[in-house]
Amino acid sequence: MNVKTRKAVDSINKARQAKIYAELLDKDTSVLFDDPLKNDMVLNMGPQHPATHGVLRVVLRLDGETIIKCVPELGYLHRGYEKLAENLTYHEFIPHTDRLDYLAPMSNNVAITLAIENALGMESPERAQWIRTLVSELARISSHLMAMGSTCMDVGALTILLWTFVEREKLYDIFEEICGARFTTSYSRIGGIANDINDTVLAKIRKWAEEFPKNLNHFTSLIHRNRIFIDRMAGIGLMPRDKAIELGLTGPTLRGSGVARDLRKDVPYLVYGRLDFDVMTRTEGDVWGRYMVRVDEMSQSLKMVHQILDQMPKGEIRLNEPNVVLPKKSEIYTKMEELISDFMLINFGAAPEKGETYTAIESPKGELGFYIVSDGTGFPWRMKIRSPSTANLQGLSHMAEGSMISDIVAIIGSVDPIMGEADK
Amino acid sequence: MNNTKNTEAERLNFMEKLYLPEIAKGLGLTMKYMFKPKFTRQYPEERFEPTGSYRGRPVLVDTTGGERCVACGLCSRVCPALAIEVQASETEREKERYPVKFEINMLRCIFCGFCEEVCPEEAIVMSKEYDIVFTSQEEAILGKEDLLVPEEQLQDRLEYLAEYK
Ligand code: SF4
Ligand code: SF4
Repeated sequence: MNVKTRKAVDSINKARQAKIYAELLDKDTSVLFDDPLKNDMVLNMGPQHPATHGVLRVVLRLDGETIIKCVPELGYLHRGYEKLAENLTYHEFIPHTDRLDYLAPMSNNVAITLAIENALGMESPERAQWIRTLVSELARISSHLMAMGSTCMDVGALTILLWTFVEREKLYDIFEEICGARFTTSYSRIGGIANDINDTVLAKIRKWAEEFPKNLNHFTSLIHRNRIFIDRMAGIGLMPRDKAIELGLTGPTLRGSGVARDLRKDVPYLVYGRLDFDVMTRTEGDVWGRYMVRVDEMSQSLKMVHQILDQMPKGEIRLNEPNVVLPKKSEIYTKMEELISDFMLINFGAAPEKGETYTAIESPKGELGFYIVSDGTGFPWRMKIRSPSTANLQGLSHMAEGSMISDIVAIIGSVDPIMGEADK
Repeated sequence: MNNTKNTEAERLNFMEKLYLPEIAKGLGLTMKYMFKPKFTRQYPEERFEPTGSYRGRPVLVDTTGGERCVACGLCSRVCPALAIEVQASETEREKERYPVKFEINMLRCIFCGFCEEVCPEEAIVMSKEYDIVFTSQEEAILGKEDLLVPEEQLQDRLEYLAEYK
């Protein structure tokens, strides 16, 4: 084994820090001052700062109160999921995706299973697709509620965070009844979903969906016309349209800059092609714009939830293909063939053909894609996770440069990075 | 400079610009919420009762004829957290095989429910227990005697599995 000595580790750390500071101190900055203060200051924000939403470290070079340069450092929550995936069967990797974007695990489960199904060249049954769409929209609302609450908290409106938490809590209660866990859902499976949703839960979702708009209105009426809130949000952290496209931003961070890109509309997957919804965009491109996109998207998701509940078909929840999809439990107990395929599937895994596939969905944070290289066995030869938070954080330096130091928390909040996903 | 003029603030009307009504509104809400029922639960006194769909601590089903487990090792193979250890042996009973050793390391278990999903004998199921506390690492490794739970106590989950899984 290749064990590094203390000295080697120190020298690696030193080289890494030197790189960050070298980038921080370069003269290639776009800000000009009429009366520059002489004393530049380097400020280290994070990785434990509460406003960095996890363990993001941002190194700032300040001129007085103005940020001249901002260098985000990622990787504090790196757990090596891409490497880990190579040593697990596709089925075993599903619970690991809960821990990527931990504010919308349902969405991640759907993403990975769609990717595996794409690699295997099959499609899940009708009812499973509707349920998957339903849970990913509920996950979107819960994630946006959290983003909304934490952005408000970052700029000083703590009340909103507590209120959005209550709504999110109700959603988590629903998730718990759907799949048995609030946070680590592991709900999707190859070829379908883990278990069916019963009608009482569906009724519960409908009841929640009917009450939610009133509550959302209640939240927004408190802050959206509030002078202090607007002054802290609007006009800062600008991300121009072209720059946003260049940097590869996706999700609300991109749509806040006026680009109507949404995979649900552009490349309809699951049943999104059959649902009626609008892609929300704002032209401002500032923190306010990105925040408003999230708030507007919640209403759109809610509209979809109603449509899904109205049209939900009955039927099978998993494909009946014993050599790739786990058979029904009752069949495992009673039938020999299913029992054997259960054993084969768990021991060797469902094996896609040799080749490469890329499948992406519109997760609450943006385009979440899984790039799978298969060598024909049950284990992926390589799995690359295209996580939206990593890409969106690339815009942070551009947004922060030239802002005031106190605005950086609002700017980070508006990008809505989830470090579990950014660091993988 | 990545700042622009704050155009949003210009759209505020006179009353909103004044800011004073906002303070009154905020205080009014505080008063209102003081008398509203609380959303939180007083945990140890008020306990949360999970339904059959809940995935709590994995347990072994204990029937009158002993455990259902035949020590096939499938649960230990599928466990993504490598939490289960099974050692098989033979018996005189009808099922011929049984686990001499069955351990779940609760420090590793992530409550994913995969073990329950793949078990061919419905021998391991997720219970409703969620408040699991250990004072040492050794205590967290549950052996067979800690894992076996009588079938009657698991009826909710078994019915749920039969119907929805
Ligand atoms: S609990 Fe089930 S899967 Fe695990 S060894 Fe026993 S019979 Fe096999
Ligand atoms: S619930 Fe999941 S992690 Fe826990 S023992 Fe079962 S398979 Fe392993």
